[in-house]
Amino acid sequence: MATEKKPVVDRRDFLKVLGISGAAATLAGCGNTSIESGVEKVQSYVQPEDFVVPGNSVFYASTCTQCQSNCGIMGRVREGRVLKLEGNPNSIISKGKICGLGQASIQVQYNPDRLTTPMIRDGESLVPATWDQAIKVINQGLGKDSQISGDEIIFLTNGVSGHQKVLIDNFLESYNSKNHIAYEALSNRVGETVRENLYGYSNPVQKVKDAKLIVSFGNDFLGSGVSPVFMATQYAQFRKAPRGTLIQIEPRMTLTGGNADRWYPIRPGTEGVFALGLANALVQHPEYDKTVPEELKLALKAYDKYTVGEITGINPDAIGHVVAMMWEKSPTLVLSGATAEGHKQGYQNAYAIELLNVILGNVGKTVTPPTENPFPQMNPINASYQSLVNLDNQLNTKKTKAMLIMGVNPIYTGPSFVDIKNKFKNVSLKIAMVTQLDETAEMCDVVLPLLSPVEEFGTHVASYQPEGIEISIQQPLMEKLHPHTKSFGDVLLVLLKERDPKNYSKYPDYYSYIREAVVKSKPVFKSSMTDDEFWDSALMNGVLHVPPKEAEFTKIKLNTADLPKAENKPLDVNYPFYFVPSIKADLRDGKHANLPWLQESPDPMTTVVWDSWVEIHPKTAEEMQIREGDILEVKSSMGSLMAKAYLFPGIQPNTISIPFGQGHSSYGRYANNRGVNPFKIINPITDEKTGELALFATRVQIIKTGNKEKVVKDEGPTTLQQGRKLVVTMAADQAELSKEV
Amino acid sequence: MALVGASYSINAEPFKAGGAPGTQTIDGYNALGPQVEQPIEFPHYTHANVMKINCMYCHTYARRSAVSGIPRLDKCIGCHKMIPEVRDRPRIKKLFWYWDNHKSIPWKKVHDLPDFVRFNHERHIQRFYFQDKRPVREVCGYCHGDVANMTTARRVKAISMGWCIDCHKKDHQISAVNLKTTNGPNDCWMCHK
Repeated sequence: MATEKKPVVDRRDFLKVLGISGAAATLAGCGNTSIESGVEKVQSYVQPEDFVVPGNSVFYASTCTQCQSNCGIMGRVREGRVLKLEGNPNSIISKGKICGLGQASIQVQYNPDRLTTPMIRDGESLVPATWDQAIKVINQGLGKDSQISGDEIIFLTNGVSGHQKVLIDNFLESYNSKNHIAYEALSNRVGETVRENLYGYSNPVQKVKDAKLIVSFGNDFLGSGVSPVFMATQYAQFRKAPRGTLIQIEPRMTLTGGNADRWYPIRPGTEGVFALGLANALVQHPEYDKTVPEELKLALKAYDKYTVGEITGINPDAIGHVVAMMWEKSPTLVLSGATAEGHKQGYQNAYAIELLNVILGNVGKTVTPPTENPFPQMNPINASYQSLVNLDNQLNTKKTKAMLIMGVNPIYTGPSFVDIKNKFKNVSLKIAMVTQLDETAEMCDVVLPLLSPVEEFGTHVASYQPEGIEISIQQPLMEKLHPHTKSFGDVLLVLLKERDPKNYSKYPDYYSYIREAVVKSKPVFKSSMTDDEFWDSALMNGVLHVPPKEAEFTKIKLNTADLPKAENKPLDVNYPFYFVPSIKADLRDGKHANLPWLQESPDPMTTVVWDSWVEIHPKTAEEMQIREGDILEVKSSMGSLMAKAYLFPGIQPNTISIPFGQGHSSYGRYANNRGVNPFKIINPITDEKTGELALFATRVQIIKTGNKEKVVKDEGPTTLQQGRKLVVTMAADQAELSKEV
Repeated sequence: MALVGASYSINAEPFKAGGAPGTQTIDGYNALGPQVEQPIEFPHYTHANVMKINCMYCHTYARRSAVSGIPRLDKCIGCHKMIPEVRDRPRIKKLFWYWDNHKSIPWKKVHDLPDFVRFNHERHIQRFYFQDKRPVREVCGYCHGDVANMTTARRVKAISMGWCIDCHKKDHQISAVNLKTTNGPNDCWMCHK
């Protein structure tokens, strides 16, 4: 339906009319002023499916691609337009549920800033072009006569999986290259590496539902974890009678921390030391004593409660309280998360935390091996910060001749000490495939407009597979909205046909490629259906499910070499504050800042909307005479940011926090010039063992600018529960264990 | 094809099709809408009056959905492929142009309610056509006027809130055999939800 002519009456004019001639306007409303004739069009279908009834919704299954969880979703479609997304009940991961981030993906589709035509570089600026012109430019560099091979071509993506990954690898193969670089600014590589080394699996199943006590070190599994929708349903089961207890230890309260029974603010980076303090206390118990090698027991002696208390800033008695609960409530589950892992000793921290699972005997009970994927080529590619370093190194050599970019924005998320932007100039052909122009696409030579996730085919395999293996099928929920946008797969197939017509000319389009690939997997599912039936059922169900297989951990070896050192690091006089940027469940690394629903939805801990803010503990604020709304300059050795102060009791007193996600300069009207980007002041510190960026190891100083602005937030004028005691809390060290447990 | 015979009720409200926009209708409202220029001047008169085709043969969604829907293009073509004698007429040529080019016809809305009003066709058709067994031209005509006597449709009823409520206040016989009467609902949220 398209509007030809619309009366222009905005809200202000409407109010004016009411003000000037209120009675007359109101009366007119009861008359005959609202109904229109001949203004809007009403278009019929040409030849619809028989089941299509205008006004009635049709539901199609697909897959959410907003984060790496790949939840199964159902799209409600009416008159050819997708209107609402819900969870797909057939999906093991989403179990018929969906999160706010998933709901908002509809705004990727209808975003007014979507790129609708290809663009090619003309001097300093990008100009609209036709697909033929864009493909011509690409083929000049990458066509059939191109001599580019090996490391001269880079395909930079996020952590893709399924047939997208397969097709990218096939594309690179046609250039004798394996240079697929997968970059995620907020990756879980440190924890995954620890678990890979300890258990042999990077993502073992963590059975939240089966635990009676969860001790989580900064793992925001309900907010921005590996699979928040799945974990939330598991958490609901965990909280059913007999109610499980959740202890959260982290420097800044996350959504999961807000749900915890006990929340311990810890000095950033000392999580591993606290975990070893618990381990030391645990092995005093005869039951746990048996499982631990003598060498380790000896090493643990250095982590007595007073030393640990001094290093971590947590009351030494807390160790006794937590360990008493661990003895009482079995099985337990210990989780390590982003804020524990993003440090110089991040690997050691995560190792010490996982050690608790081994000592407590959780391995095999609440930590179990995942099912092996019968299609390993579809597993998600390991995406990490290390990839950005790899990219940086490759660009330094000036060997790279062509680069294709999809799903990542390294110019925005890259820290300021990795100067990707300037090094881009060394590459003669840079191709970005996007739905909307961003900071990185803007620097490219050719920008191709992709279909939105609700218009696209695809297959996905999530990295976290809780029950068996789920292969999620993505299918278009509606016809494409913009005629000059194309599927990512179709673009690659066009380029591949040019290079390797023998193998790829049989595929008229990406649909036929995906269909053939899915149908070929039929024998694994022992299906007796015909090819057509199998494909239809895969589309209808939205998922193909490989049932879980029993497996055992075979690799657990404990060693003392990976333990974090029990040392007290003095605070830097110039930079006296720890800087722990928070990961919002919706904006994540800033990829979703272009969606107004997410900008509008209040941060669950502070209720602030549409902006960045500096969280500071009320006591620290009082000492420094800082009030809410004071504009603070947060300065690290890499740069500084300015944002409004927000007094937040859920933060360690020596720590300040700014959420990731804002501070875009070129990402559409909803994201641009809004807030600040904490990536830009991250210090060049990496995890010693894995080389991952230590996101939470930066030290900063705070400078008051003297300016003040109102913080836009949903909560009332007072942070103290509207002046009423709605929820009673007490300091964790004052709680009586016997009453609480 | 369901055809309605000459059983058009003489008790039905008289319909008014002509007059200048804003002219007062018989039910006392300043109601008449403007003549709307359509991409094809569809002769309702020929189809519904001369050929006696039931309104719901083309507007098939009216009994199934909140909206009556514009007939799908292949429905027009389905009949007109079988009627070669009118194939050369300008309107039919235009119709086939849309079909050959796989384009939908950009009809203009004649009865366009504001977005805050939810009118449910299905509810009204089920009650008055199927339950009360009233003639279809009368049932559709309550709101749309005697479209069977028009070429392209024109709004001849007020379709304002007061006009809707007037009808909802009236006593409507429950069915052709049951003499009991009921009113239409009077809750705000029935239409404004």
